[in-house]
Order: sequence, then structure tokens, then C-alpha cells
Amino acid sequence: MFRQLSERFGHPLAMAILTLLGMWLIVMVTLPQLQMIDYSFRPNLLPAQRGGPEDGWTLGNYVTLFDNEIHRAIFFKTLWSSVLVTLLTLVVSYPLAYYLAKVATPRQAALCILLLIIPFWINEILRTYSWFIILAFRGPLNEILLALGLIERPIRFLSGDAGVMVGMVYAYILFMVFPLYNAIESLDDNQIRAARDLGAGSIRTHRRIVIPHAKPGIATGCIMTFMLAAGSYAVPALLGSPGSRWFTQIIYNWFFEGGNWNQGAAYAFLLLVLCIGFMSLVMKFFKVGLGDIAK
Amino acid sequence: MDGSVKLDEVVMRFGDFTAIERTSLEIASGEFFSFLGPSGCGKTTILNMISGFLTPSDGQVMIGGEPMAGVPVNHRPTAMIFQNLALFPLMTVYENIEFGLEVRGVDKRKRREASERLLALVALEGSGSKLVTELSGGQKQRIAIARALAVEPRVLLLDEPLSALDLKLRQHMRAELKAIQRKTGITFIYITHDQGEALTMSDRVAVMSAGRIQQVTDPMTLYRAPLTGFVASFVGENNRLEVKVVDRQGPRVRLDGGALGPLMGSAGEDVVLANGQAAALYVRPEHLRPVDDGYTGPRLETTIEAVHFEGAWLMLETRLDASGEKLRVQLGSDLAKQAAGMLEPGRQVGFGYDPEEAVVLPDDGSPVVDEATGEVVETSAKGEAEAGGAHVSSA
Ligand SMILES: Nc1ncnc2c1ncn2[C@@H]1O[C@H](COP(=O)(O)OP(=O)(O)OP(=O)(O)O)[C@@H](O)[C@H]1O
Ligand SMILES: [Mg+2]
Repeated sequence: MFRQLSERFGHPLAMAILTLLGMWLIVMVTLPQLQMIDYSFRPNLLPAQRGGPEDGWTLGNYVTLFDNEIHRAIFFKTLWSSVLVTLLTLVVSYPLAYYLAKVATPRQAALCILLLIIPFWINEILRTYSWFIILAFRGPLNEILLALGLIERPIRFLSGDAGVMVGMVYAYILFMVFPLYNAIESLDDNQIRAARDLGAGSIRTHRRIVIPHAKPGIATGCIMTFMLAAGSYAVPALLGSPGSRWFTQIIYNWFFEGGNWNQGAAYAFLLLVLCIGFMSLVMKFFKVGLGDIAK
Repeated sequence: MDGSVKLDEVVMRFGDFTAIERTSLEIASGEFFSFLGPSGCGKTTILNMISGFLTPSDGQVMIGGEPMAGVPVNHRPTAMIFQNLALFPLMTVYENIEFGLEVRGVDKRKRREASERLLALVALEGSGSKLVTELSGGQKQRIAIARALAVEPRVLLLDEPLSALDLKLRQHMRAELKAIQRKTGITFIYITHDQGEALTMSDRVAVMSAGRIQQVTDPMTLYRAPLTGFVASFVGENNRLEVKVVDRQGPRVRLDGGALGPLMGSAGEDVVLANGQAAALYVRPEHLRPVDDGYTGPRLETTIEAVHFEGAWLMLETRLDASGEKLRVQLGSDLAKQAAGMLEPGRQVGFGYDPEEAVVLPDDGSPVVDEATGEVVETSAKGEAEAGGAHVSSA
């Protein structure tokens, strides 16, 4: 890397670039992470007690999760709900991505992509709030359903997980659509035509030709969506009910309400491990490597 | 099993652009039929209408006597071999060949039997478990054929399937395709812009230009008796001389070559020529031979510009003394040997030809040649309105 850079920019500049890059990686990325790991293995002590006899490394913060039944339940619920959000987003995104990549004319595709992106110019919190308004007990969605006579009484969308699900699918759909779109785009149209020509209907064509080809894209989209969903704070905080608490909210509470950073850090790491575990599981399931995903 | 194909007054428009002008054509069951024409003339479009990927803007396609309107691609008795083959890269050879049978719900054992049989047919026994990405170009070609044949189509559609192969392999595959066609008895509809392929393999050839079929006939007739200037220039090499018709007796036509003096040629019964009409005389390079001063037939005086030795024959580039136009002459090795001394650049040589082998056609414009490929693309605008066999009488 140094050689390439110095050929391009000369020695001193290349040196400067690499130094800055190294500093950035160490100071901004590595050190804080190490600090948090360190935190997570230490007990929560008053400043005066630090370095005292009680200070030392311990697994106590990690054990808390397994002792605390509620936290444990929320942890697994977050995992399960994130999987659900991921699947839901995949189901919504696949037809859209296929349409954009293979059916729409370039103009239609450009227009659609623009329409998809415009809402993302608005801050995530505001976008989530708009769903809060739409889904509210006396909100427009209920009004419309009532007016159409489809329901007799307004529905409490925001009481269970439904609100959070809708909000998250909406918030992360682009992270699913784009990898899928890229993957499907690169499939030769003649592959689809050949399958049709050999007698395959559209379901089989998707199952045997399009989906296998799009696998790396599907894996990428699923991993990104899952990570974002599991690590989401704003959506469950705004659209969730007390019954649909997210693990991130617990972490937040440890840090900013409980003031127990050590405990928070341990929880945060457990969530990270969960995400990495999920990622490797997905990659194994789809038989794709890191290289395929980076493409 | 009737694999006949009929195009009935078919038209294909894309917006304002008419890719296929009104066309009617019948292809017999079991025939090896080729569409030959330059790039962009509408060959793939015709194939797509037969396979069902495109619906004609007007008219209809019939296969085995049944109208195909409303029959989707996956229910037509056709199979296509794509220009880029479109094998499924994530599947093995077996899976590729068996795909069509899997779709039809054939059980696994029967499928495997069928694919083994087809692998034997295309001489690739034992490569069933390979991935298609591990195959060579020629092998991929054969797998594509096997995959298409697996669904037992009545009509096999081939879209320039050999264009990606090198010359040797291409020639080999020609023979192989022809053999497979004979063995299976399936109607082959073959698309190509390579006249060698069309002439060697086909029972009949349709020559196309700019969305029109110019002539449909067997390869020999196509070569000997082209019906339009486009066909004369596109199929094989031809020297084109602009002439005027003096008069006509049966097939023999006397011509006025202007500065070239009186010339002779012949015209088919179907070709309508009026005395005094502007016409074109087509003389193939291999029909010209050097003549001495005593020769009394029509002769062309030239000066040799270049001599190319091509092994079995000699190619001469010459210029007509009277008009300055180019004339290409191809001499077989025996003729070349006889005339050895006089075939040098700068020498003046007279060439004669047998009027029976020189074709006279109404003048429908000079050929337009694609700079990049050296291939005749169409004939120039002159007389365009009458092109497309308009000179051909209904008899
Ligand atoms: N879907 C389409 N929309 C608009 N124009 C089209 C479409 N398909 C083909 N054409 C036009 O129709 C004409 C014929 O195309 P076609 O693909 O049939 O040519 P071809 O003879 O197969 O050429 P090649 O030898 O290059 O494959 C071309 O001018 C092409 O631009
Ligand atoms: Mg084509």
C-alpha cells in the first residue's frame, strides 16, 4: 500500500497519509473499543474506590444478563424480532429489487429509486415520528380503515411489536433493496429467458435462477438489516410500547439512567457478539464468504 | 410431431421503428432453415417472435399448424440456443441439461437417463458432474444443444450459436450441428450473419436486409441466381458493373456497358427487365479468366494492381481501363500457372467470362458496406422503394 501511495503522491505525502490513517484507526476506533472492553470486565465502583482492593477483572457484568430474567427475555426477543424484521424486509424488498433491476425501463427505475431515497434525506427520528403519527390510535391509518368500513373500532397498532416492525422495515429497506438490486442487476437477462424457454414458470425461475444468483446480495442485505435492527434505538424508543422493549434500550438505561457504564459496556458487547454470531450463521447458510459480500 | 413453422403476414414494430416488415414464410417440419443477414437486420427479432419472447405487432405465428397467439414462452414447443448460450453457471452439466425435465416433473432416474443419452449424442460422455464454468467453448456449445434438445422441442431455434468459437471449432461444429439435425429430425431455425454457415448447413436460406426477406431458396440457387442486388452482393463475392439493357432473348441479355462496350449476361425468368433500363451486371471473381486477343466474347480490359497468393487460388485486384472501377479476379491454381508470366502488378490483362454465369438484375442501388466488418449492410437508397423482391413477378 505504501509503495502504491508513494508512487502516486511521493514519499512524504504517502507517509503523512498513512500516519493519519493509522492514528485515526487507533485513536478513534481501536482505543475506545478497548476501553469499553476494559470497562465491561470491571465492577462499577465509585471514583474513590478505583485502583483499590475491590478493583479487578471480573465476569460479573456478563453474568448479570443471565441472572436477570427480564433482561434475558428482552435479549432473545430482540434477537428474534430482528430476525423477523430482516425476513420481512427481505420479503418486501425482493420483488421491488427485481422490478427495478429487470422489469422497469431505466427511466422508471431511476424514478423509483429517487422516490425510495427522498425520504432518507429526512432525519431517521423524524421519519419514525411520522409513522408514530400514522399508526396512532386516532391517526390517519385508523381513520381510513374506519372510513372504508374495514374495521369497526380503531386498532392499537403501537401497543405490540407491530409498530416497531413497520418502522424498522421502513427504516432499513434501502439497506436491503440496494444489495439485492445490485445482485439481480448483474444477472444476464438471457438466463431468465433460457429458464422460461425451457418451460419454467416464474416461481421456479426465481427459485432456481434468480435467487441463487442473488445470494451474496441477499446475505449482505440480511446482515446489514439485522445489524441495524438489533442495534436500533430510535425506532423501538418511539414506536415501541412497554411490552416491546429493545435490548438497546436496556443498554441505554445502564449508561445514562443507571449510570453503570461497566454493566452497559458488557451488555453492548453481548449484543455485538450476537450480531457477529448471526452474521457468520447467515454467511454459512448462504455459503458466501466475506469477499462475496464486500463486492 | 409436426415441427412446421409459419409466419403469416407478421409485422414487428418497436414504437415508430418497424424492425420486421410484413413477412410471410413457411418452414417445413424437419427442415434446416437459416436466416442470413447483416447485423441489425431483424434476425433475432424473428426468432423471438417464434419462441414467444416477442408478440408480433400484426399477423401471427403458427407452429405445427397451431396459432401461437397467447401461448407463453414456457408452453411453446420450441427451444432456443442463445447467442451467448446462457448456460446456468451455478449448476452442473447434468443440472443444466435436466432443467427442462425437472420443470416438467420427470423423476430423477429418468432425467439422468435422458441426460446421459444427450451427452452421448453431443459426444461429451462423462462430463455430467462438471460445472459449466469448467468447460471449453466448444463443450459449452454442445451442452447448450443438449439442454435445448432435452425438452424434446419440435423446433430448435439457434441464434448465432457459433459466433463465439474460433474458426476451426466453428467449422467442426457446423458438421456436428448438421449431423444432430439429421439424427433428431427436428426443425432447425438457424440465425447467422456468416454466409458460409448458412450455405453449408441449410436446406433453405432466407436472406434478410433491413427487416425484409430478400430471397428464400436453397443455398445453390441463392449463390447462382440471386434475385436482388443485395443478395448478389451479400452472398459470396461479386463484381458489380452498371449497365443498360439492350435487349433480351430468353435468359440471355445483351447489355450496353457504356465505356466498357457491349456486354452480356443472363437473367432468371422471374426477373423483369425492360429494354433500355438501367441494370447491374454481377460477375463473380472466380468466373473471370484471362483471355487472349483472339477472344470474341464479352471482355473486360484491366490493369493489375495487386496479386495475392492464397494457396489454392490467386486473388487479383485490378482496375477497369475504361471506367477506373475495381474488378476482383480469382484464379484457380491451374489457370494461375498458365498465366504466370502476365500476372504482375502494372500489366494490362483482358478478362472474359461465361455470360451464363453473370447475373443481370434491375439496378437497385450499390451495396453499402460496413467499414468495420467489410460486410454488405444494405443497398443504397436508389430504387429502395422497389427493393425486396418487388421485381419478382408473381409467377
Ligand atoms: N426491444 C427493442 N426495442 C427497440 N428496438 C429494437 C428492440 N429489439 C430490437 N430492436 C431493433 O430492431 C432491429 C433488429 O434487431 P435484431 O436484434 O433482430 O437484429 P439482428 O439481426 O439479430 O442483429 P445481430 O446480428 O446484431 O444480432 C435493430 O435495429 C434493433 O435496434
Ligand atoms: Mg441477433
